[in-house]
Amino acid sequence: MSSQTTALNSGVHAKKADIFCKDEARVDWHSKALWVLREKRDRAAGSLPEWEQLRQLGSEMKLHTLTHLGEYLETFEKNCQANGIVVHWAKDGAEHNQIVHSILAKHQVKKLVKSKSMLTEECHLNPYLESKGIEVIDTDLGERIIQLAKQPPSHIVVPAIHMKKEEVGDLFHDKLGTEAGASDPTYLTRAARAHLREQFLSADAAMTGVNMAIADKGAVVVCTNEGNADMGANLPKLQLHSMGIDKMVPDLDSAAILLRTLARNATGQPITTYSSFYRGPQDGGEMHIIIVDNGRTDMLKDKILAESLKCIRCGGCLNTCPVYRRSGGYSYNYTIPGPIGIAVGAQADDTHSIPWACTLCGSCSYVCPTKVPLDKIIHHHRRLKAKAGKLPYGKRNYMPLVGNFMASETMLNCSMSVARTALRILPGSLLKPFSGAWGKYRELPVAPKSSFEAWFNKNRGQ
Amino acid sequence: MKIALFIPCLVNQMMPHVGIATVELLEKLGHQVILPKGQTCCGQPMTNSGCFDEAKKTTLKLLNAFKGVECDAIVCPAASCLVAAKENFHEFDDSPEAQAVIDKLYELTEFLHDVAPIPAYNKAFNYKISLQLSCHGIRMLDLATPSEQMGPRTNKVEAVLSSIPGIEIVYPDRRDECCGFGGTFAVDEGAVSAKMGKDKAQAHAATGATYAVGFDPSCLLHLDGMIRRQLLPIATRHIAEVINAAL
Amino acid sequence: MSSKQSILNALKSVAVAPQAMPPINVSPRLDDVIGQFETNLGTVAGTLHREGGLAALQAKVDELIKEGKQVISQVEGVTGNRSAPETAHELKDIDFAVIPGDVAVAENGAIWVNNQHLGHRVTPFICENLFLVVSADKVVANLHEAIKQIGLNSGEFGVFIAGPSKTADIEQALVVGAHGACSLNVYLI
Repeated sequence: MSSQTTALNSGVHAKKADIFCKDEARVDWHSKALWVLREKRDRAAGSLPEWEQLRQLGSEMKLHTLTHLGEYLETFEKNCQANGIVVHWAKDGAEHNQIVHSILAKHQVKKLVKSKSMLTEECHLNPYLESKGIEVIDTDLGERIIQLAKQPPSHIVVPAIHMKKEEVGDLFHDKLGTEAGASDPTYLTRAARAHLREQFLSADAAMTGVNMAIADKGAVVVCTNEGNADMGANLPKLQLHSMGIDKMVPDLDSAAILLRTLARNATGQPITTYSSFYRGPQDGGEMHIIIVDNGRTDMLKDKILAESLKCIRCGGCLNTCPVYRRSGGYSYNYTIPGPIGIAVGAQADDTHSIPWACTLCGSCSYVCPTKVPLDKIIHHHRRLKAKAGKLPYGKRNYMPLVGNFMASETMLNCSMSVARTALRILPGSLLKPFSGAWGKYRELPVAPKSSFEAWFNKNRGQ
Repeated sequence: MKIALFIPCLVNQMMPHVGIATVELLEKLGHQVILPKGQTCCGQPMTNSGCFDEAKKTTLKLLNAFKGVECDAIVCPAASCLVAAKENFHEFDDSPEAQAVIDKLYELTEFLHDVAPIPAYNKAFNYKISLQLSCHGIRMLDLATPSEQMGPRTNKVEAVLSSIPGIEIVYPDRRDECCGFGGTFAVDEGAVSAKMGKDKAQAHAATGATYAVGFDPSCLLHLDGMIRRQLLPIATRHIAEVINAAL
Repeated sequence: MSSKQSILNALKSVAVAPQAMPPINVSPRLDDVIGQFETNLGTVAGTLHREGGLAALQAKVDELIKEGKQVISQVEGVTGNRSAPETAHELKDIDFAVIPGDVAVAENGAIWVNNQHLGHRVTPFICENLFLVVSADKVVANLHEAIKQIGLNSGEFGVFIAGPSKTADIEQALVVGAHGACSLNVYLI
């Protein structure tokens, strides 16, 4: 079984997380690597006195756009066409993939270079095109690493964050012929540069994701640090850009708000190295934009879920999430992991467990550059799952019991009294089998003799 | 002031010392303390799991315990339960009587900071304490500005404690990262919850503080179980116990 | 029904009430704008040359040509040893490209480059090293100001470039020189 299938196998989050947690040193390494990004983000955000104002502006601007999305999409299409850009509309991933293939087939494309796009991951474009005989080369270094390793991304900004440099070294030795045992990141990056330069120069078409689509200009903005999107889009004569309908912004001024927060919140950089604005194809070239729904309009029909479409995919919520850092990107049963992955992927999770991969600590909502209320959305997903009768971890059976139990003072008092006595007088070894997941990792509470209420009644004489 | 205590089930059943310290400190400050009957649970274990139907009966029972009770404030020594009670009361009862109860709800630190500040402490507390800034208290009750937020900073917990003679207040590394309790999360996601708790307990211990002090009993219960399992040289205390010792 | 129509129809039932567009009014930091630019350019691994202007740049270019480097210049007043080729692919052996920037942004070290001055769009990406030339009076405080000054006409391409190409995709270790230029030197004129 390839690691890709292992990673994508669906299983309840807790079980996958449990496996990830078995190697504690690796969990610490993973957690720390991501926490460093959070610290860099704090420094970058803290250096701007207007940081919270930018978050508020980002949130309001995105909500404005989402509540006028039909108009903006039509304006965008009209302006794109005036700029010589061909616009396509896809209601789902399958239609997106067909459109992409039809464009590539028309130009007899054999090799496509592609920069990072979570949307194409979501639509599973690569395997589709490969099944049609088109070679797809992911050009972002992290994406190329996991593509060579036949793995899905484990993070939306740093997709190979789960791999150690020694593992990348072994992979590159095997696939790119680097020296055996070499694991220096600079050496490995140079090898990838040389390898990918050949791919750029021999590609027939290029594809990128879209960070922002500017309605009043009919232009798309693509942000990378490596320059891979631009090396791709500006060499072959055919360029394609896929975007979710949620990428729309009204104008350049709106884009500027997000460009100020995107990289700062992602990696702590003041801006990505390249923020490229494409308002038409190169001389003699062709430019296509594919606008994709794939469930987004459904989310907009729910007041709470709608706000998840304000997301600009900076990955900040993953970096701060104490659960993601300790359970890894493959534990979420969805292309996008972490808090935003739960927000946009919970409905597709057939184990129904990912909304519970969260302590509702709320850190993500405060980190978010567009104020997506992630903890509220995750909580809402739990409610939707409960309503649909799709609760994980046996909750469907025990929750009604808890409800009745907690609502009855007599039941609560009697049984807790018994429990306290048991905790006090029984030896730990006898209690352990009954203490389940709590006692497996933690000592059981030291039980008091009586309840507070009993003390109060006795000492304050009510 | 006349204060009605809201004592969540966890405190009532497993951590009565937190309730006792709360009563004693409020009385030392000259307040009259009553305990309205019929309190059970705020409904959080159910609503956090999305089970609102199952929570309704419990929540309304708690709300009814406070409806019509004559008092100036309802004070609770547990931030997370207080937040849940506020939200759940609002969810299940939009009457003016329910709103009257909601308007009087305060978490203990919040009450001592916003409503009835402590004029002076009269005993020393000669210990270094590491503050446990639990999530719901800071991110939903504004007890302290969360580390993610930029701009002006407030910290009601430190403000209330800092004038205690002899006290030294420090913070663990990753100061307000969640301890991993999360209600049923501790059981559903045992491995991750335990790892979070272990990291948090170790971070508190690494400060060299004698006590890890917090305002949320559930987090303290979780940390206590971790500290004892890891045999770490630190112990948990609720903020009410520290304040009570200094009055 | 076309997919376009079905998407637009679905968008008629958005559950959130229409929100107004907020006014964007962010105070710029106006103290020592060029100093801020220099600091932030350094943060993104670029280097600013404040003195000497085009003469210093031409001297540098001459030195590089003497070393046998391939230099292409799109800046008036600076001469390289290569001219714009027919196809973009022929730029693959360019060691240094000299390109004019239109606007520089103090808060993040970025410089706006428009394709009118690029020859081929790929020039600033495919070159091994990049020189950007920007006028001192075109340094603005922040991106809100910059975005009002950039040129992006119908059919054009433009890019904010902040430093040389870089990546940290292997264990978060920063490596300068991923796919684009491996170094960036900015000359202020």
